[in-house]
Amino acid sequence: MIEIFQQIINGMAIGGVYVLIALGLTTVFGILGIAHFAHGSVSMFGGYLTFFLVVMWGLPLLAAIAIALVVGLVLGLLIELLAYRPVRNASHINAFIVALGLTMMVEGLNLEFFGHEQVVIPTNLNRVFNIGGVTIPELRLYVILAAALLIAAMTVFVEKTKTGQAIRAVAENRDAAILMGVNVNTIPLVVFSISTALGVCAGVMVGALFAIAPGIGEGLVVKGFAVLVLGGLGSIPGAVIGGLVLGITEALAAGFISSAYKDVIAFIIMILVLLVRPQGLMGKA
Amino acid sequence: MKLGTLAAAFALAGTAAFAAEKTLDIGVSDALTGGAAVYGLPQANAVKMAAEEINAAGGITVGDDTYMLNVIAYDDKANPTEASNSVRKLLDRDGVKFILGFCCSGATGAVASFIENEDAVMLVGNAAERSITTREIPNLTRTRPPADYTGAAAGTFVAQKGHKKVAVLGALDIGFYASYVDAFEKELEKAGGEIITRESFGLKDRDMTPQLTKIRELGPDAILVVGYVEPAAFIYRQAVELGIDVPRYGFTSGSEEQFLRVATSEQMEGVWDLRPTELTLLSASDNGIAYHKNYSEKYGIAPSPSSPYAYDQTYALKDAIEAAGTVEDTEAVAAALRELPVPDEVVMQYLPVDGKMFDVNGQAYTSNGAFQWQNGNWVFVQDLPSDAAAYSAFLSTID
Repeated sequence: MIEIFQQIINGMAIGGVYVLIALGLTTVFGILGIAHFAHGSVSMFGGYLTFFLVVMWGLPLLAAIAIALVVGLVLGLLIELLAYRPVRNASHINAFIVALGLTMMVEGLNLEFFGHEQVVIPTNLNRVFNIGGVTIPELRLYVILAAALLIAAMTVFVEKTKTGQAIRAVAENRDAAILMGVNVNTIPLVVFSISTALGVCAGVMVGALFAIAPGIGEGLVVKGFAVLVLGGLGSIPGAVIGGLVLGITEALAAGFISSAYKDVIAFIIMILVLLVRPQGLMGKA
Repeated sequence: MKLGTLAAAFALAGTAAFAAEKTLDIGVSDALTGGAAVYGLPQANAVKMAAEEINAAGGITVGDDTYMLNVIAYDDKANPTEASNSVRKLLDRDGVKFILGFCCSGATGAVASFIENEDAVMLVGNAAERSITTREIPNLTRTRPPADYTGAAAGTFVAQKGHKKVAVLGALDIGFYASYVDAFEKELEKAGGEIITRESFGLKDRDMTPQLTKIRELGPDAILVVGYVEPAAFIYRQAVELGIDVPRYGFTSGSEEQFLRVATSEQMEGVWDLRPTELTLLSASDNGIAYHKNYSEKYGIAPSPSSPYAYDQTYALKDAIEAAGTVEDTEAVAAALRELPVPDEVVMQYLPVDGKMFDVNGQAYTSNGAFQWQNGNWVFVQDLPSDAAAYSAFLSTID
């Protein structure tokens, strides 16, 4: 029984990262209809930047994260303005190609600025808590808590603020939102900024828990889209549930079936869910 | 007459100047980027450093000519296709006849499959897959011993420690790691022990807590970690985080610096690395200490323990070319490599077979050693049983 709880805890940390990645993707996709493939590479940029600020400049971790978040917000604005806005009214294939090009560009920039070596963000969070035989490393605990806090903040922002209402209005019906006086030019900027900031947070978590290296972002964005499909396109609760389901399923599959096929098993479960609910766990029929 | 003497003097001076300026291109195909760069990049650096040393000492002497080495290095990313392309570029475009490097088995195996038909000599470094030197390729030699040669020695060592239930966590989809574990298991079973589970991970995996949780529930006496440095470092760290308090053995060949990027020294304390007796500062010979110092000064980072395989290749090639007396006849150079005694400049501790560095299969053997992490360093603790002659005879029986 302890093993099951331990595997669930193991899966929650990586599940939290999947949730943050998927949240960024789902807001962009739900509102703008863009499959933002570069999201994983952008989140790795955030992780690299935090590593650079901590290791090279000697900044405290929290200060480095704060700076990376601000850079993430600005980067999100720039991505929307310079990359996606020019093709907003063009065919979907144009945005698709821009997304692919952007992915290669950001990966290339990461390689150019930060090199090819794997980096791990130092945290000094090395304590381990033991609760009834279930061990929780301090760092994983903070990752789970931080992910929960960000999910809550995102939910409050979307549900309770005027900007959040405007975002939901654009997602529901863009034309009606225009008629209601919503500035539909500003909303994409806000969405990309928030999405990128969430990606930066995910990048920091990956960098501290595991490692950042070229190619990691691509894998992460694949998992993010898998969560999106599993949870339901454009659904915030779907991203949360989907991310946790994927993370925990991977851990349980590796622990109880085979570590060699943990990804395969997780995706088989995803396919099974979609056979029963094609719209995803929380998607609208 | 005076004119004739002058012309002869010019001709002599011209020949001397020409001889002094001769350049011999040597190629390196290795993982300079990507996951395997932890092994490949230090190897490429080691070849460049050895070439500079050889040049500074007067180059390679072939008859009346002296050759200065020029290294052309390409990134094969440890990928078989990229490696084949890199080597084809070296052979066809750059006209290189001597190719060194080769940290990783998949990429090396791909090149080994066609190198026999080329007018070239291939010197393999860190790649440990046994089959590379069982194909009787006359123009291929390897400085690192095969993984199962070391795995058997490791199995005996762990059995002698009294462990009966060993859990394995490794990159088992990679052939040479699997062969290390197979040889390890055979020796462990001879002493009444067993491998209770074989869990695997991929090259890019960094979260091994699910596998470690499963291992924890099985209650092993010890765990054996076989794989690249980076995932292995995460396993050691995560094992501590999960409260797994049994001896941890490994086969990774990572440097202190590489492990400390991921795990703290406290998390690494007591870990064993059972591998060929590769470079660590605390076990190095005079050559090893000089290599460590020169490499660290040149590249601003300590050399990885396995990087001298490539450094040693370069000196073996130098001696073979000088012995063969040619840079054109690759068959003669390949034959000279097979007859070569261990060069004085090498860093690794080779066990010659019949007095020669490479056996009839082109395989060199080092001693195997048990290294333990103690207070932030890999410390050489003891030799592991290593019978190079017996293994060489065994290798000759394999098709």
